[in-house]
Amino acid sequence: MEHTKHIWRAAFLLIAVLTFVIVGRHFLVPKSFGQAGYYRYDALFEHMDKEPRHGAPDACADCHDDIAAAKASGKHAPVQCEVCHDVLSSHIKDGDKFADMRINRNWELCAYCHQRLVGRPALIAQVDIREHLELASGQAIPAEACVQCHDKDAIHHP
Amino acid sequence: MCERSENKGVGRRDFLRLAAKGAGGMALVMVGGGHSLVSANAVREGGADRRGPMEYDPSSHRYLYVIDIDKCIGCGSCVRACERENDVPKHFFRTWIERYQVSRTGEVFVDSPNGGHDSFEPSETGADISKAFFVPKLCNHCDSTPCVQLCPVGASFVSPEGVVLVDDKRCIGCSYCVQGCPYGSRFIHPTTHTASKCTLCYHRLVRGETTACVQNCPTGARMLGDARSLGDKVAEIVATSKVHVLKPELHTEPKCFYVNASREVR
Repeated sequence: MEHTKHIWRAAFLLIAVLTFVIVGRHFLVPKSFGQAGYYRYDALFEHMDKEPRHGAPDACADCHDDIAAAKASGKHAPVQCEVCHDVLSSHIKDGDKFADMRINRNWELCAYCHQRLVGRPALIAQVDIREHLELASGQAIPAEACVQCHDKDAIHHP
Repeated sequence: MCERSENKGVGRRDFLRLAAKGAGGMALVMVGGGHSLVSANAVREGGADRRGPMEYDPSSHRYLYVIDIDKCIGCGSCVRACERENDVPKHFFRTWIERYQVSRTGEVFVDSPNGGHDSFEPSETGADISKAFFVPKLCNHCDSTPCVQLCPVGASFVSPEGVVLVDDKRCIGCSYCVQGCPYGSRFIHPTTHTASKCTLCYHRLVRGETTACVQNCPTGARMLGDARSLGDKVAEIVATSKVHVLKPELHTEPKCFYVNASREVR
């Protein structure tokens, strides 16, 4: 058997390569990769772990039940509080208030929905803001133009 | 013997070296492929472990997204809500609104200033506009999605519910998926340098809440449904109404359906 050592060499090489591959895979391929498909299954749970910023639709009514009730009977009822204010997580942490909620009194906030536009369906009241304020051309729209007449009670219960 | 090895290009040592490389590569492919196949089958047969922050079974949901174009007022509340909920960087969009204006002669004007984030200015096309409408857009969460097929590292994937997600720890930022998405719904995040896109607010869905864009739509133009939930109203719209998908010719099988879409919508 003069060629035995060649067989041993080949066998040794094969075992060495296989060990290298298996050990290499162990370190290079993430643990949950391929558990549910060609991706890292743990990534799914990392997405789940992210904390929501917007509260549940009725979350604000837990403390502001008076405003919520007024708003529910007004025309702004379908509009979530967070559309005009800010996300709940900017105001509440672990069930307690830690900062004031933003109140945006700028006319642009109203114009987002109520500026008359070509193609805007007539589901809601629309005006051309400049025309409505009877501004001369070139005159800037005052920042709080809308809330001067349509105050917060009118907005929450128009 | 010596003569032959001089004549031939490949000696015994070289041959063994090459063979070892080849065998190693083959083993890598076989071990890898076999492993993922077995595990995928195990999951399909109900072997999936149910982890996560709460009792939530991904395989018992199949989310559908419906947009009624006749109800969209182009206010941009959805774009702003998405930005706040998901920390979307300025001038990048996971969802955006396009304004379509079609003239009587068939010219189509499409604009989306800042993605509709600050709504729209009165239009100045100068043309005789005969119809106009707003079209909200987002990832279509395609069943047969090009972005996942293109990803070279398995960072883009379809969740068991059918939501297309990105594993940003694995993404190498090659942007093949950004180029491959026919709907333009992906971008490379300017700070993480990984692919970013609509997650259908996955973190909210698993807590039983709806997406930020749907919750903040003041007219109900955006709707989220679950085809695996009995009596789901939105799934019923898809089942019974004349719904349209974007670029049906690409057979990407989107799960985002449009009601009242005009033929100009691409």
